[in-house]
Amino acid sequence: MPSSFLALTSFKDKYSTSPSSFQVSSGREVMENSASLQESSLAPSNGTLGNSSLSPSIVTDHMCASALPHVQHSHNPAFISQSSRDLASLPPLDASFSQSTASLIHTQGNKDVSWSLDRLQMFLDLPENTPAPNQLVESSTGVLASEDHNKKTNWQEWADDLINVVDPDWSKILDNTNVLNPRVEVPKPSGDISKQQPQFHQNQLVPHGEFSSHAYPSSTAPPTKPRMRWTPELHEAFLEAVNQLGGSERATPKGILKLMNVEGLTIYHVKSHLQKYRTARYMPETSEGTSEKRITSIEEMKSIDLKTSIGITEALRLQVEVQKQLHEQLEIQRNLQLRIEEQGRYLQMMFEKQKKVEDEKGGVPSSASDDLLAPLPGSKHPPCNNGKSDSEALEQDHSRTGIGPGNAGTNEDKSSSGVSTKLKMLETESTVHDESGFSVSKRARTEK
Amino acid sequence: MKFGKRLKQQIEETFPTWRDQFLCYKELKKLIKLISSALPIAAEPTKYGKAEAEFVYMLNNKIDKFNTFYMEQEEDFIIRHKELQQRIKRVMDKWSSNGSRTEYNDEMAKIRKDVVDFHGEMVLLENYSNINFTGLAKILKKYDKRTGGLLRLPFIQKVLKQPFFTTDLVSNLVKECENTIDEVLFPIEEDKEETKEQKGAIMVAREPVKGIFRNTVAALLTMEEIRRVSSTKDHFSLPPLNLSHSHLIHSFQLNSPIPIL
Repeated sequence: MPSSFLALTSFKDKYSTSPSSFQVSSGREVMENSASLQESSLAPSNGTLGNSSLSPSIVTDHMCASALPHVQHSHNPAFISQSSRDLASLPPLDASFSQSTASLIHTQGNKDVSWSLDRLQMFLDLPENTPAPNQLVESSTGVLASEDHNKKTNWQEWADDLINVVDPDWSKILDNTNVLNPRVEVPKPSGDISKQQPQFHQNQLVPHGEFSSHAYPSSTAPPTKPRMRWTPELHEAFLEAVNQLGGSERATPKGILKLMNVEGLTIYHVKSHLQKYRTARYMPETSEGTSEKRITSIEEMKSIDLKTSIGITEALRLQVEVQKQLHEQLEIQRNLQLRIEEQGRYLQMMFEKQKKVEDEKGGVPSSASDDLLAPLPGSKHPPCNNGKSDSEALEQDHSRTGIGPGNAGTNEDKSSSGVSTKLKMLETESTVHDESGFSVSKRARTEK
Repeated sequence: MKFGKRLKQQIEETFPTWRDQFLCYKELKKLIKLISSALPIAAEPTKYGKAEAEFVYMLNNKIDKFNTFYMEQEEDFIIRHKELQQRIKRVMDKWSSNGSRTEYNDEMAKIRKDVVDFHGEMVLLENYSNINFTGLAKILKKYDKRTGGLLRLPFIQKVLKQPFFTTDLVSNLVKECENTIDEVLFPIEEDKEETKEQKGAIMVAREPVKGIFRNTVAALLTMEEIRRVSSTKDHFSLPPLNLSHSHLIHSFQLNSPIPIL
């Protein structure tokens, strides 16, 4: 893959310059590179590469989509532009630094989109002779899986190379900024940047052993998602290892990795996690000095306005209250969203199955549709709050009655109207659900 | 455009370091417009297929970004949570038995503030997750509507499983935090509505750098706005939000630079 190496070497070259220029220039350059990968006219030998990278990673119902792994088929150009974007979008540790990078980041983000818009326009103008317009949207997932495996090893090497280049510069730079500003606003990892690279390429991590119950759901198929998702249990194991090795300052990533003995965990993950951990420990100790200032400012607040002065504790309590409410609403909203989508999916599935049955037709549509319609949405999530169990039962009843008309009819008209009836049922169902504080009447009024 | 405006407001209100991490809704809308105007689906299926692939590609990139950011934050939260627990334990062990009531109180005050802020940040991350999801859902709906495609359903199923939307871990941490707060850190007391308003005003006015409280208020109000009755309601839309103490929360905007109307 000549062009990928081209990207690699130019990436490296750019890298040896200062960080801020790196962020802007290499990002842009990398995007150009990946753009050139896509455009057949510019990259001679990249027919398949260019097109396969366009294949989206849509998981259809036909795939055994267990959680994440299948989903994020990272495409080659996506890797390049992705990682550069991530490198560029790293949160700054210093106020002044943040000023410059904030604007950079923003332009970077917009550049993404405008770049893509440009590319799209080029697409639309291109004549039909673009090479091998193979499966783009439909069914490309199977192809993609195999292709991805081949590419993975290449990217591993690329990533390793990059890390060796990246490591010394970044850690030096970041150590400096770290010293200047120990009080980190939002604790972010300092040495994490270089480790970002391999995390894209590592296999999906599934910490086995006693952590698997809470760890990221494991899949039987070979994982493609490289990111490591930490859990409290994993962190506990990490802490244990660190303590055994004499504390966060003395423990080395290698030692920790060995002690933890978790399958799939790499030294990069441990390294970055250790960095974060050190930062987090360092922060409260320094905050002991600075928090005095904060407390005095709150004291000032009190003295300034005696009539409506509030104690710190009370102010905090108010804050917690508002936060709690937001949390609660978010939970409710999320559950609702999940359920709505679930119902939509179920409906769609049923609709498709019915269509299939009628297409294949001739014989026994009624019994077949009975089979299809019989399994209720058992896949519905059990409701979070107990208060919702009533509405759930209600929902089930509605579904049953909704399915009723579908069962009765056997010819096309009735079943299609059955589907639309079900749709209406769903609408009213979601209205009925909203017992946890939603205004049912409002919704009913606006119903079409 | 209403969601777009709300999203923009939310982004403006949020932490500076988070600003770039949200969905670029407007840009995606432009993309849709471009696609829909240039390519009626019937006309040239291959080109349309490419355009859709392009769109999907962009969305996937966004999702990757969300995931990365979210998991970074999540990791941080796990670490901080543990640290806070240990801190509390340390302080309690150290000072609850000895005399020195004032030092104990001071330390507890610091911890209290930190825990509350920590709680706030986690909730705001949940909000981040949700608002991006909502944005994605809306964009997909627009796409299907404008281009006549069938992208929405399968795609959203995929999104539902993404790390950035599977917020259970953070949710658990939040609950644990709330338990800690309720049991350990705060005595229980009821406040009257009027004093709450005043407190809120002061908090917003003089809040130290992070602005978590202001952010939270903004998030709640944005949510309320987004879920107001919309013209494009279908069976995938969320019902309106019924916020308790809505009036109170609205009053907290008193000194906010960007009023959310």
